[in-house]
Amino acid sequence: MSLEPLAAAPLVTVEHLVVRFPLRGGRQFIRPVDDVSFTIGSGEVLALVGESGSGKTTIGRTLLRILEPSFGRISVAGTDVSHIKGRELTAYRRQAQMIFQDPFASLNPVKTVENHLVFPIRKHQGGNKESVDQLIDDLLERVGLTPVNETRKKFPHELSGGQRQRLAIARALAVQPQFLVADEPISMLDVSIRAGILQLLGQLKRDFHLSFLYVTHDLASARYFGDRIMVLYAGKIMESAPSRDLIRNPLHPYTKLLLAATPGSSTRHRLPEKDNQPPDLSEARVGCPFAPRCLSATTECTNSMPPMTVVAPERSVACYHPDALISVKPLP
Amino acid sequence: MVSEQPVLVLRDVSIAYDSPAGPVQAVSHVNLELMPNTIVGLIGESGSGKSTLATGIMRLLRGGAHLTHGEILIKGQNVYDMDAKTLRKFRWEAMSMVFQSAMTVLNPVMTVEQQMVDVFLAHRPGMSKAEALQKSYALLDLVRIARKHGKSYPHELSGGMKQRIVIAIALALDPALVIMDEPTTALDVVVQRSILEQIQDLQQERHFAVLFISHDFSLVAELASRVAIMYAGRFVEVTESGGLTVSDQDHHPYTQGLMRAIPRLTHEDVVIEGIPGHPPDLVTLPTGCAYHPRCPYAVPLCTVERPEPRDWQGRLIACHRFDPQKAGEFSHVS
Repeated sequence: MSLEPLAAAPLVTVEHLVVRFPLRGGRQFIRPVDDVSFTIGSGEVLALVGESGSGKTTIGRTLLRILEPSFGRISVAGTDVSHIKGRELTAYRRQAQMIFQDPFASLNPVKTVENHLVFPIRKHQGGNKESVDQLIDDLLERVGLTPVNETRKKFPHELSGGQRQRLAIARALAVQPQFLVADEPISMLDVSIRAGILQLLGQLKRDFHLSFLYVTHDLASARYFGDRIMVLYAGKIMESAPSRDLIRNPLHPYTKLLLAATPGSSTRHRLPEKDNQPPDLSEARVGCPFAPRCLSATTECTNSMPPMTVVAPERSVACYHPDALISVKPLP
Repeated sequence: MVSEQPVLVLRDVSIAYDSPAGPVQAVSHVNLELMPNTIVGLIGESGSGKSTLATGIMRLLRGGAHLTHGEILIKGQNVYDMDAKTLRKFRWEAMSMVFQSAMTVLNPVMTVEQQMVDVFLAHRPGMSKAEALQKSYALLDLVRIARKHGKSYPHELSGGMKQRIVIAIALALDPALVIMDEPTTALDVVVQRSILEQIQDLQQERHFAVLFISHDFSLVAELASRVAIMYAGRFVEVTESGGLTVSDQDHHPYTQGLMRAIPRLTHEDVVIEGIPGHPPDLVTLPTGCAYHPRCPYAVPLCTVERPEPRDWQGRLIACHRFDPQKAGEFSHVS
């Protein structure tokens, strides 16, 4: 997959994003997203990879302002959207849309395909009946829901899982956004259907020069669809690199662990970890959250969080011992 | 310990669901032998009948499903000929099952050790409570969970720990066959891998046979020695897992399609492509070969006549277009 040259100014810029949730009692907080900074170029797919609880979905939702950042700044196309409200937020949703994981839950069972698209178009663009009709036909054709005239009248239960996800994609596109957050868009679908949806997203990216935050737990699909992969653990970025480099030559011990665990990886030896307790998300934690599981952890790691360090163009890693002990067989 | 008698024999097994429109065939004429001390994988998409087959083997069919044809033998005994008492003893002692949702299988208001002790007391009437507790702790050791967690309630444990405990309980009475229905699907990839490693270790230690059900191709190919691929209630192929690589074309077209549909870590230059269409509705199955509407190799014969499985070098492939004489050239016929 070739990397498109990054535009001078990235479309999405996230600086020191923190999202904190109160624990019961309200005195203590956890930080599912803790000091995260990154950019997404125009027409670029950034794959955000992590296990459940790593904060990847929270980042996606905060970027779309379903959640509000506790600290830090999110700007999209030059506008600070961190704390916008009301009309400004509605306007922002014209630029940024979401594709959810579960196409069975994200569609309204009593509305037809057509209804699902009419509403966003009317709300965000208006236009007379003919132009709305035309737009719906175009959208359905784009996402492969043909024959259009037949599909328009169908209800979600008359569509297969893959078709439902295509409708959800069409709905997200209806307002002609520049930026899409796709949160595990293929993980609920049958294996034989997944590739088709990923191909569709790739096609749309090229046709409309869309930017994506692709949230997934699956490194293989991240490598396939993502231009860059960012690995998240316990709310912190561990490593960020162009997809191919990250898979071929992972630097962070956690990335190595994830790679070794992914089915189809060429490693056959034991997992490089020493413990498998879930990470501490509390605000009071210190040090690298991965240290308790890390084979190369030292006291330095438990005392302070390693800073994100640029090690090569477009490659950065947050680790004091990025090239340490555990070597995982390089992939062919 | 190792006998030559298969642990599990499926002989022409069919299972149907009652529906207002008549019986719906969820599993059709399936044949399989599972030898002791082996892991066999069963791959299928949703609706392919893989879980129905698993519950059928355990004789746990519900919701109007019943065995309509064939025999299921475990250690030579027909599961469907047993009276209720024998069956009750047979389950867990000869065969046990690990379900996908470990989170819902455990009882939320009982501690882990209470649930483990229960199994022993129910199946070993003479056993004392102290002895049952000892055995429960041994099981926790077996799956490498600290004994202190015996006093925990399920909600206090992580998903991976719960699944380990469910596996431990399934192994409590040393069954010859363990059916695992997507045991790691709900878990994170690192936890998944460590549980799979553990299943392999335990299997080598205790020599039970595993029928491992999953939709994840690469995972099954790594774990199992032999794999059955199910489509619309039938086995379209049964094959050694070693041959499941994209470069090996001598497979059923559905198997080929599945292999091309998965993004893989190591095949950078392989372009993935989905299989067109979607899995069929069992109520309105296509005629002939159920896969023909999605198959790039389909010819008119495929629409009218169902192909029977044919043997080629240990692979069973049910496809009209697969010519054992011309194996190796399969990709060229179209």
